[in-house]
Amino acid sequence: MSRRGLLLLLGTTVALLCLLSLMAGRTGLAAPALLFDADPETQQLARLIFLELRLPRMLLGLLVGASLGLCGAVLQGLTRNPLAEPGLLGVSSGAALGAVIAIYSGAGAALPLAVPVAGLAGALVASLLTLALGSGGGLLVLVLAGAAVSALMVTGTALALNLAPNPYAVWEISQWLLGSLTDRSWQQLLLALPFMLAGLALLATCGRGLNALSLGELTAASLGVDIRRLRWQALAGTALAIGAATAVTGAIGFIGLLAPHLVRATSGHEPARVLLPSALMGAALLLAADIATRLMPFAQELKLGVLTGLIGAPFFILLVLRMKREAP
Amino acid sequence: MPARRYIHSLLLTSLFALAAGGRAVAGDAGPPLRVMSLNVCNDQLLMLLLPPERITSVTWLSRVEGDPDLLAIAQRLPVNHGSAEEVLAARPDLVVAGRFTTGTTRRLLRRAGIPMMEIDPVMDWEGIRRVTREVAHRVGAVERGEELIAAMDADLAALATERPAVPVRVMGWGGASEDVPAADTLFNTLLEAAGGVNVASSVQPRGYDVEQVLRMAPEVLMRGSAYTGRPALRDAAALHPALRQRYAGRILTYPEGVYGCGSPPASRWARRLAQALREVRAAGSP
Repeated sequence: MSRRGLLLLLGTTVALLCLLSLMAGRTGLAAPALLFDADPETQQLARLIFLELRLPRMLLGLLVGASLGLCGAVLQGLTRNPLAEPGLLGVSSGAALGAVIAIYSGAGAALPLAVPVAGLAGALVASLLTLALGSGGGLLVLVLAGAAVSALMVTGTALALNLAPNPYAVWEISQWLLGSLTDRSWQQLLLALPFMLAGLALLATCGRGLNALSLGELTAASLGVDIRRLRWQALAGTALAIGAATAVTGAIGFIGLLAPHLVRATSGHEPARVLLPSALMGAALLLAADIATRLMPFAQELKLGVLTGLIGAPFFILLVLRMKREAP
Repeated sequence: MPARRYIHSLLLTSLFALAAGGRAVAGDAGPPLRVMSLNVCNDQLLMLLLPPERITSVTWLSRVEGDPDLLAIAQRLPVNHGSAEEVLAARPDLVVAGRFTTGTTRRLLRRAGIPMMEIDPVMDWEGIRRVTREVAHRVGAVERGEELIAAMDADLAALATERPAVPVRVMGWGGASEDVPAADTLFNTLLEAAGGVNVASSVQPRGYDVEQVLRMAPEVLMRGSAYTGRPALRDAAALHPALRQRYAGRILTYPEGVYGCGSPPASRWARRLAQALREVRAAGSP
């Protein structure tokens, strides 16, 4: 399959999944035609369910999935490390920590904008920490640094929730560590949207620089690429997109790892050519996982991270095995 | 391993024996002087039955939320966190524990010979009468106990005419599945006395979300007020715009401490709820 064919296939899949996401609910109310039902009572109920619940949820799935996919592709290109992604580098858990502090301290209730901004700050701090710890040490040191920072951020999140004045906070720990799109509203989406769009734009324009970088730092510099600027652009894009997304959904793992690898064989290995397919793949994966959480016949709704982990973790193991085989 | 466990328990037992310090063990000889509660529901009964100076301490939860009268008393009382160490330090004459009291604490007290009574949670009016009498008898406040029960029964009699004639369909929703009171709860008992019917007691879908709440179409939503002003993620779902839009003026708040713990003043809260349900009806629900 050509890259063009892949893009077409992914685009169609994402569109179909968006439609399916609108139809999927725990209550079985499926047909959007009910929006135009003759009975005003049914029509009002359908309007609330489709427009106020399922539509923001679908858009959130689309945007957060695309952010994770794109960010994974950029970070893998930037660090030239196949294991780089916002989850493994601690960025997502840093964002969750920021959002948790903002929400449970009451800052978010006083000033709603504080939540995405705190998410962004958490993501930025975590990524700076990981890069500072892991730079110059090779592929595995970066991943180790990510694991360490991630552990620190997850612990911080658990601590913040334990100390929160609301005792229910501890119940909500799984939402922050595993992610969820349940019962999100337009307000939450619209607050995060500008940050996510700005982040996506910054990440999407990293392509040319990443291509040059794949030839080595010296070659890239000789091609006129400002590597410092490229790093900061990728970092800011990551903090904006992942920080704001995670502040609404909690940390969602593995999509940033999976998406670029799944498309690379078809789209070619040039980093710039991976970006768009990876964003689409990320969106498709997250939408599909979120639809599955609603349709699985379990008493409690599964958290998103459980499903992405079920697919992602074995894939992670495969990647490790492959690296082991290729390493001397 | 068994040997080690034996030594461990021996050590603990002697520790408690030392702490008990040869004091006369209060029992049937007379009403105990100072009583300590290790359970939030028993806190309420003690504060209703005894003057504050006879209460060694209540749980910290009683300061968080509940009936305003009792909250005010709890603010002035020492609080505990249900641990054995606190019992030893406070040296009460009687400990009132509940089924949910830390198991270790309960076992250790039993071994150390500190008098303790255990009260099971109650879910209905008859249960409230029973445990009120039980505790009143043990702490020597029988008259006060009967007063409380008489007031409760008067409230219940008044409710017969105060509740809406046609039951109001109600659902408790705090923003997450675990915040939906189902069948066999004190919430249901209060609600039914007040002229409501809990839609979540007959239909129990697999988990709740806002969409599910909308589809179950109760006339009134009830949200626990326990932690108002202490934000959590679930607040966004409890007051989701879709619900605020459809349930404007039909979301009532209730004190979870009162609806979760059976004590006689629950009847007063049932009358308040009946009043609120009548008002919602009068305002015209669909």
